[in-house]
Amino acid sequence: MKLVAKILRQNISIAQFAAYTLASLVGLAIIMTAVKFYCDLTTEPAADDDTVIGADYIVISRRVPILAAFSNSNAPAFSEADIAELKAQPWVRGVGAFTNANFDIYGSVSLGGRGLSTALFFESIPDRYIDITPEGWSFDPADPTVPVIISKDYLALYNFGFAASRGLPQLSEEMISQVPLAITLRGNGRSDSLPGRIVGFSSRLNTVAVPETFMTWANSRYGDGRTSDPSRLIVEVTDPADPAIHKYLDSHDIEAAGDRGSGRTGRIASVITTVASAVGAVIACLALIIVSLSIFLLVRKNRRAISDLIFLGYTAREVSAYYKRLIITINVCVFAAATAIMLAASWLWHDTLAAIGLGGGSPLSAIVIGAGLTAVITLVNTITIARLTAKH
Amino acid sequence: MDRRIATITLVSVIPAVFETSEVTASEVWLRRVELRRPESYLVEAASGMGKSSLCSFIYGARSDYHGTISLDGRDIRSYSATELAELRRRHLAIVPQDLRLFAALTALENVMVKNRLTDRYDEATIRRMFERLGIATRIDTPVGRMSLGQQQRVAVIRALCQPFDFIMLDEPVSHLDAASNAAVAELIGETARANDASVIITSIGNRLALDTDKTIRL
Repeated sequence: MKLVAKILRQNISIAQFAAYTLASLVGLAIIMTAVKFYCDLTTEPAADDDTVIGADYIVISRRVPILAAFSNSNAPAFSEADIAELKAQPWVRGVGAFTNANFDIYGSVSLGGRGLSTALFFESIPDRYIDITPEGWSFDPADPTVPVIISKDYLALYNFGFAASRGLPQLSEEMISQVPLAITLRGNGRSDSLPGRIVGFSSRLNTVAVPETFMTWANSRYGDGRTSDPSRLIVEVTDPADPAIHKYLDSHDIEAAGDRGSGRTGRIASVITTVASAVGAVIACLALIIVSLSIFLLVRKNRRAISDLIFLGYTAREVSAYYKRLIITINVCVFAAATAIMLAASWLWHDTLAAIGLGGGSPLSAIVIGAGLTAVITLVNTITIARLTAKH
Repeated sequence: MDRRIATITLVSVIPAVFETSEVTASEVWLRRVELRRPESYLVEAASGMGKSSLCSFIYGARSDYHGTISLDGRDIRSYSATELAELRRRHLAIVPQDLRLFAALTALENVMVKNRLTDRYDEATIRRMFERLGIATRIDTPVGRMSLGQQQRVAVIRALCQPFDFIMLDEPVSHLDAASNAAVAELIGETARANDASVIITSIGNRLALDTDKTIRL
């Protein structure tokens, strides 16, 4: 076969094939890297539950009626039947209820000798719906200290709204966590003051949250005995962008609030992946055109040699085998190089993503997609070669 | 395809570009001609009477003619590309007038391109053929740098590197002197006899020094 290769190698334009190799490498590498990036963004590392994408939560409440402010009724709540119906929806993975406190709460802090006191509210939800599990997130009646998680938004409101406009110092999360709170619980004929501490800041919960164990204990001790239906629910959903969710909420007069940012991150990741893959696909298509033209020109230039070989008794298949081998070799090398680039790129962004609790996605999808594309491109190439040589 | 071909039959064949009036004196065009193995034939013709076309038609390389050419009764036009390749490896050998050698390959490589298809001879046998035809010293020279006479002899050796029932030689010695002509004729005659094959030679002038059974005017 060496002799045939020697004949058919003539007129091969190194520049054309180098351009093809480069273009298809860039195209394939972009596609594979984009796929890997998407996999990394949508993968929850097993050890950490605080992901930006993947698990998605929405907090829902009934729309407040226009006249609610003038009536004596409580905020509209979710009955057990409502919750059961919600749980039956295909896009729901789990539902957690916010439990309200049935007693009065006052919180006070002393800052630089000045005391600040305010009425407060507490809510609790099952721990699995909280995006963080800070240290000290438990309550023991024998040694009653109340751990509190507040919304990151509250701190942001203070730091960037209130403090900035009033010339007050901005506070960090660590600083606030050090501030001792005095929490007064009043109801059922009792009044007690317990120490409290802010142990964490949640980006998911738009409330002041306490552990469920504390809420159960406090409601039985200071509550008025009535059990009310929850007015807010936290719902874990499969895909927050699912239009069925918004349709359902609208038809049931329910408002969604809360942790919608993570869903947006998911959509952004999917947009980035789509755009990058599209760019990669365009480049890969251009590469395919380049190689098709190169093959066409090569076969035209070597037309005489090809027809001479067939004149000698070679079959078109034997003649085209050399060009097919050439293309397959190039494409396999391109695939290997693109895989290496994809792995190198994911290694580069690994630390950055790990810092926000992401990464570790399997490269398998990217490799399978890359191999599939390589196979399709190679098939198109070899069919082109076979058709051109068969014409002699 | 393994059966040897005994007869090549031409019925009312005429190149598509020819007028009927041009070929009235021809013993081939528009007539019925049977070429039977192992008889040998000399096809004599004036220039432009279609010698090379005739070789290409029989070899299945061109089909721009009217009429029918059949090998043992089977129309050459009905052969598939694969069957044609097989035909050219085992049954029909040819030295075309334009030789169709690969200029960038050496003389030996040109022969080997054919021989590796048929695995007919070992390299030593091929080298002996080069010696017999007086071009042993040029065996590793690229064909593009050889004289036409030397190239003709390379093409003859290449054509012999296969089993064949018919060998067509289109003006094979047009650029050879008497001594080389005799050497070529001897090698071809000997190989054809060993193959029990027919030799078909075309000539307009300097003809191969090989006795033929029949002479046909084209």
